[in-house]
Amino acid sequence: MLFRRSISIAIGGLLASVATAQAFDDATYPDLFGVWRRVNLRPGGQPSFDPTKPWGRGQQAPLTPEYQAIHEASLADQANGGQGNWQSGARCMPPGMPASMTAYGEMEIVVLPEVTHILLNHNSDYHRRIYTDGRDWPKEVEPSFQGYSIGKWIDEDGSGHFNLLEVETRNFKGPRALDPTGLPVHADNQSIVKERIFFDKADPTILHDEITLIDHAYTRPWTVLKSYQRDPSKYPIHSQEDCAGTTANVLIGRELYYLSPDRELMPTRKDQPPPDLSYFKTYER
Amino acid sequence: MRYRRGKVAFGSLVALCITLAESRAWDETRYPDLKGQWRPIGDPLRFDPSKAWGPGQQAPLTPEYQALFEANLKDQAAGGQGLAQTHTCISPGMPRVTNGYGQIEVVVTPRTTYIMVEHINDNRRIYTDGRDWPKEFEPTYLGYSIGTWIDTDGDGRYDVLEVETRGFKGPRTYDSSGIPLHEDNLTVIKERIYLDKSDPSIFHDEVAVTDHALTHPWIVTKTYQREPDRQPYWREVTCAENNNRLDIGKQNYMVEDGHLMPTRKDQPPPDLRYFNRSRKQGP
Repeated sequence: MLFRRSISIAIGGLLASVATAQAFDDATYPDLFGVWRRVNLRPGGQPSFDPTKPWGRGQQAPLTPEYQAIHEASLADQANGGQGNWQSGARCMPPGMPASMTAYGEMEIVVLPEVTHILLNHNSDYHRRIYTDGRDWPKEVEPSFQGYSIGKWIDEDGSGHFNLLEVETRNFKGPRALDPTGLPVHADNQSIVKERIFFDKADPTILHDEITLIDHAYTRPWTVLKSYQRDPSKYPIHSQEDCAGTTANVLIGRELYYLSPDRELMPTRKDQPPPDLSYFKTYER
Repeated sequence: MRYRRGKVAFGSLVALCITLAESRAWDETRYPDLKGQWRPIGDPLRFDPSKAWGPGQQAPLTPEYQALFEANLKDQAAGGQGLAQTHTCISPGMPRVTNGYGQIEVVVTPRTTYIMVEHINDNRRIYTDGRDWPKEFEPTYLGYSIGTWIDTDGDGRYDVLEVETRGFKGPRTYDSSGIPLHEDNLTVIKERIYLDKSDPSIFHDEVAVTDHALTHPWIVTKTYQREPDRQPYWREVTCAENNNRLDIGKQNYMVEDGHLMPTRKDQPPPDLRYFNRSRKQGP
């Protein structure tokens, strides 16, 4: 009797300690460790939001007439040496969601039970937190370029392993654009971005992100499928982009200038006026 | 008989538990609980939080770098930035990021520990996967960090993360007063990161800097406090968004309301030799 009780206590204790120790069974989650790079389909131009189509007009984005005109103005400004709606290059700004997931640089994904971190390297470090701890939308949250993301892991085939991360992201600020031609999102920043992140069924080295953008600048939800390939190196390199330290672009007011190799101001277009120097005492007109 | 059956059942359960333990790729309870949001205790503007800013830090600089530091202080007093370069939104680099300028998150995984600071490009990766120093790597402000988890008291749980960081680029300073690191960027930084033994809401980072601008290694201990909210609010920081400082030539200027302005008295304007001066000036 005493022996049976002691066995029961021992077994109970052992199982309890295993249950406690097993705080995070990472085998339940897909192995997303490593460095991911976008699959470049090379449809023409710089990386595009819909990777199957060329950037800019080639995207055939379902823009409203008002925002189609804004995009055309951006293209015209860029043709004249300006940056248009694309603030990422000239100002070292983040592209913001959903363009962040174009993965201009390396992407790293760190999965924990309560949060999935997406670390992006472009211009600077950008960091998405996708909360998977069951929280609801906060009543108040400061808008951001990456937005506030809530996700849910799904075990689609009942195998006991999660194979799909569904994410919804809201609470944005601008300016944001979808590609370097300045393909715009609405100035109201009311975008909703829904994502489905999953491994390719035939090729486990490929990860997909199906992104649906719902935005008042568009006539309908726009869904694109992005793909990423894992860096096969044992110890892949994580670079540290330093846009601020290396950029030669200088924005003064609405005028974009360029820095020469000796870091003096240069115009970016023909007959561009120099900056107003009237605040300088030693300036002579 | 009953006893033997019980023994068999017990043995089977032990085997099951061992299998469970083996199938578990990562037992996070072996690592200290560093989850949450951390803030430095003390002023993040100083490298050694126990001493006053600037000359009060008593940094063990060589005479050559002490002279550079003093010239830098004079420049700052005249409205310049001295040697501290973060005004242009470049990363503070190591070891300055340990000052903890923004909200700090520590994410521990078996292969990498991430120390992420909501500031300017301050996110660190500390590789704990047993790798050796790579033969070649691109120097960065944050350097290349390799760490080892240590179980100092043999209780089966790690309690100290020892880190070594090399492979830097510059310019880097220790803090906003512009205390410089050597321009050869051959700095080696060793750290011991651990939770406080009596208060798990505090962690320490002992930072030992070996650098040719120093007469001996400079060792300071940083302390960080965990925010009590276990679902803390993370604020996105984008330095470039509101930065009004820019460097043209060898001068630092600022832009206000779209106009270029001096940052110090009698500062010369930028050289406009590349412009057609007959054109009207812009904003």
